[in-house]
Amino acid sequence: MTATPILSGRDVTKKFRGLTAIDSVDFELQEGRIYGLIGPNGAGKSTLFNLVTAYYPLTTGEIRYRGERIDGLPTYRLNQIGIARAFQISKPFPAITVRENVRVGALYGVPGPRDVDAVTEDVLALTGLGEMADRKSGGLPVGNLRKLEIARALATRPKVLLADEPCAGLNPSETSDMMECLRNISRRGVVVWLVEHDMRAVMGVCDWIYVLEAGAKIAEGNPQDVVRNPRVIEAYLGVAPPAAAEETA
Amino acid sequence: MMRFLGLAGAVAAAAVLPEFLPPFYVRVVQFFFFSAALALAWNIMGGFAGYWSFGHTVFIGMGGFAAAHLVTALGLSAGPVQMVTGIVFGALFCGAFAAIIAYPILRLRGIYFAIAMLGISQVVAELANNVSWVKGDVGLFIETKLPGDIAPERFYYYVFGGLLLVTALASFLILRSRFGYGLLAIREDEDTAKMLGVPTEKLKILGFVASAALVGMLGATYAYSLGYFTTGSLFRVDFSLNMIIYCLIGGIGTIAGPILGAAVMLFLTQVVLGGVLELHLLVTGAVVVVIVLSMPDGIMGLLGSLTTRKPATPPAPASPEVAR
Repeated sequence: MTATPILSGRDVTKKFRGLTAIDSVDFELQEGRIYGLIGPNGAGKSTLFNLVTAYYPLTTGEIRYRGERIDGLPTYRLNQIGIARAFQISKPFPAITVRENVRVGALYGVPGPRDVDAVTEDVLALTGLGEMADRKSGGLPVGNLRKLEIARALATRPKVLLADEPCAGLNPSETSDMMECLRNISRRGVVVWLVEHDMRAVMGVCDWIYVLEAGAKIAEGNPQDVVRNPRVIEAYLGVAPPAAAEETA
Repeated sequence: MMRFLGLAGAVAAAAVLPEFLPPFYVRVVQFFFFSAALALAWNIMGGFAGYWSFGHTVFIGMGGFAAAHLVTALGLSAGPVQMVTGIVFGALFCGAFAAIIAYPILRLRGIYFAIAMLGISQVVAELANNVSWVKGDVGLFIETKLPGDIAPERFYYYVFGGLLLVTALASFLILRSRFGYGLLAIREDEDTAKMLGVPTEKLKILGFVASAALVGMLGATYAYSLGYFTTGSLFRVDFSLNMIIYCLIGGIGTIAGPILGAAVMLFLTQVVLGGVLELHLLVTGAVVVVIVLSMPDGIMGLLGSLTTRKPATPPAPASPEVAR
């Protein structure tokens, strides 16, 4: 961890009235890597993404992009500086075609000269949506909706892509396609931060993983270390396995 | 190219049509141009951006009153300069008013926005009636001098025809532009649009101002065509509702839809049912219900589904905030 991180958070905290949804979480994303964010249901993974993308204001703490404070900027500005997000619950623009969905991202997103048609077609090809580009997105099956979430976010030409459970509802073969797609995105110089329940998928693709439980970061590290971490096992299984319990103590 | 030729043909046909129509029908077509243009202007906010206003008649009224008061205050004598000044000012005045109310009112979504607009139109109509210098109760004259010896219905036939063309062209350019895609994204899912870098607040204000200014332009022109008007002649709830109905019938969010919808409904109400005034509203209401039930996407939607297979019903948009 030497260079200025592309995206970092310090003491990121969100309280809803009395409930602390995110409790003093730190993170640091470096260029060229794929990050994971895991944790049991309700741990606050999507809430953390909602904070990074300014759907909610922070209670305390700060978020920086390339060293500059970005908490407090409106959502659309965050996208314009290079932070894109694919939603957990697919939110296509149902009444317009897949291509038009992607085109919105290409027309807006990070400002600067670009060939809107070329960006649109390129992203459709990368995500394998080319064949259904002229269909209304409202009628797509779930696998393609997931791809569309990624495609549309990618069309905004981001530097960081927050992908919130891109594999939810996908079968194993679709999941591995999606992971391959995320790897390709990473190779293009986009930092990917991935929330995922499918542990095999996360382990296979991520370089570094953050683990949340009840809003607090309980572990971070490379995949091999994280899966052996007793606190992580405890969070996932509810009780620590006997061998691990001794280590914790 | 085919479309361009079709449009050119339609314009040419419309230009010579009054030669063959009796004055009553010239007036019907003139009112169709006015109504279709209103529906198209409403459609910019209601159809493209998904913000349904139930009170757009407020801009007809404000456009008319603003025009009449300005040309009177300036002491302009009736003529082309006076008319263009009034119409342009009507548009600007409505655009400015929309920009002022945009910030609070565009924070409301869905039915709340619709009702807020209804409320604003009622409040402004009451003010026009009760603030003495506005003279909405006693009425206002707005003079016109027609060029040559052209009959008034023919003059306004061409004026409203031209304004319909302007409104349709503006709608077409908006729909094809980056701005138009932004409005569509807002209609489809405003929160997601933000995440794609769409400056939703700014675009909504621009769309609202454009829609209001076009309606203001039409309202001012309508005031000229009346010559004398009161609050009740411009601030008409049925104007507000008809803009919505024409869009629904023809196909909301399209360009041809609002025009087709106005054509169908006006043909029905003015021509077919013109002789049976006592049944007129009953039948009109029934027709609207039948059309909306049988063609939920309007005439354009029906035409579209004949050429392409219809996709499954879109899933209801889900809320992101509650997702974890």
